[in-house]
Amino acid sequence: MNALSPEGLRQRARVLAAVRAWFADHGYLEVQTPVLVPSPAMEPHLYALPCEDGFLRTSPEFALKRVVSAGLPRVYELGPCFRGRESGLWHGREFAMLEWYRVGAGLDDLMDEVEGIVASAAAALGRTETFSWRRTQVRTLFSEAGIDLATATVSELSSRDSTWDDAFFRRWLDRIEPTLTDPVFVSDWPASQAALAQVRTDGDWPVAQRFEAYLGGVELANAFLELNQREAQELRIAEAAATRTSIGETPHPVDAAFVEAVGRLPTTAGIALGIDRLVAVLCGWPGIEPGRIPVF
Amino acid sequence: MAYQIPSDIRNGLKVEMEGYPWEIVYFQFVKPGKGTAFTRMKFKNLINGRVNEGNYRTGETLEPADIETLEMQYLYNDGENFLFMNQESFEQIPVSQAAMGESKNFLVDEMMCRVIVYKGTPVSVELPTFVELQITYTEPGVRGNTAQGTNKQAILSTGASVGVPLFIDQGEWIRIDTRTGEYVERVKK
Repeated sequence: MNALSPEGLRQRARVLAAVRAWFADHGYLEVQTPVLVPSPAMEPHLYALPCEDGFLRTSPEFALKRVVSAGLPRVYELGPCFRGRESGLWHGREFAMLEWYRVGAGLDDLMDEVEGIVASAAAALGRTETFSWRRTQVRTLFSEAGIDLATATVSELSSRDSTWDDAFFRRWLDRIEPTLTDPVFVSDWPASQAALAQVRTDGDWPVAQRFEAYLGGVELANAFLELNQREAQELRIAEAAATRTSIGETPHPVDAAFVEAVGRLPTTAGIALGIDRLVAVLCGWPGIEPGRIPVF
Repeated sequence: MAYQIPSDIRNGLKVEMEGYPWEIVYFQFVKPGKGTAFTRMKFKNLINGRVNEGNYRTGETLEPADIETLEMQYLYNDGENFLFMNQESFEQIPVSQAAMGESKNFLVDEMMCRVIVYKGTPVSVELPTFVELQITYTEPGVRGNTAQGTNKQAILSTGASVGVPLFIDQGEWIRIDTRTGEYVERVKK
């Protein structure tokens, strides 16, 4: 087990205080939603930890969308989430998630907010440099590597995978992600990876209205222009359940209160940011461990 | 039995890929936000030392390499091969010049080494991390110059050449780190 780092905890506390101050300055309400939930997620590749008759949440997304639908237009939550089978330098099965929602905002607005929060956190740690963020698209990054995602087949992306998404992610990890060393927002993901984001079909390639933020080469945050149509939400849940079944896993239970709330959700952008990772990247640590209290 | 990803993966595991034996020297869990989990690994080629890396999806497998590591004692060079003796079976095996590679620079008689055998053929030899060797030639030492930089060349009893500090004299013994091939310190004999 790693040693507990008092200095690491001090740095972490500075970042947490800066983040909360930023949200207070920008009119956000801090909420605390239940950690123990009846449905832990929709996404097929998340492994929730069961707990009595429910699960430990993998993110506060379902509950926060109910909060927004109930009439709170700017909310955030900062608290623990749990994902089984995730353990490594940049992953822990328990980790701290910062998630926020803003009614009427677009993805560009959330990029501006991430830039502001990262700058505030860096300043709280005494760092004086300014971060210069690039804003680009998934398809642009692949085309820089000689691949057109709109037409690429599974075998063009990877020789070892049978599904398009698996081939995409192997190529991403092999060739694209390692190049993302400078701060960057990557938007317009393949429609098959929309999760809970809206899909735009008016271009020559259907894309999920999502972005991921990379800082110091680490995936820091994931944002959605939130899906807010009940029928579309039910279809996504059914597709995710089918994927779960195809990989030999039990589908996640459906959270009926969440599905009902999606139908009443105004146009909203939402984002989840890994706080452990933010602290670690800004402190220059090799992983998230120095900012955490080792117990296992 | 094939090795399962990620449950069987650990550093030091020897796997077969592209017709070569590789040793896993680094592994890390990685998972793109919306995708399946992968394990990022670095592999060292046990024949040519090249390092490769790749991402392997959870559920994929790696084939074990037919490789064994034998503790053996170096006996002599017969002009073509280096002969080693297995300390348990007393069997002698020849190791080719190519398989010895850079290791021959610091090899001395009776040295205990680890011989890596792939599909029955020795493919490389690991020396002890530190070896002590005598200098057979170097320019005369400069007394009083205790600078630690390696500022001149010295020829060792094995014929290999290494950089040493100016204060080192011909006939002295020095310790070498065989991983880097570099001078570590003077040894009193």
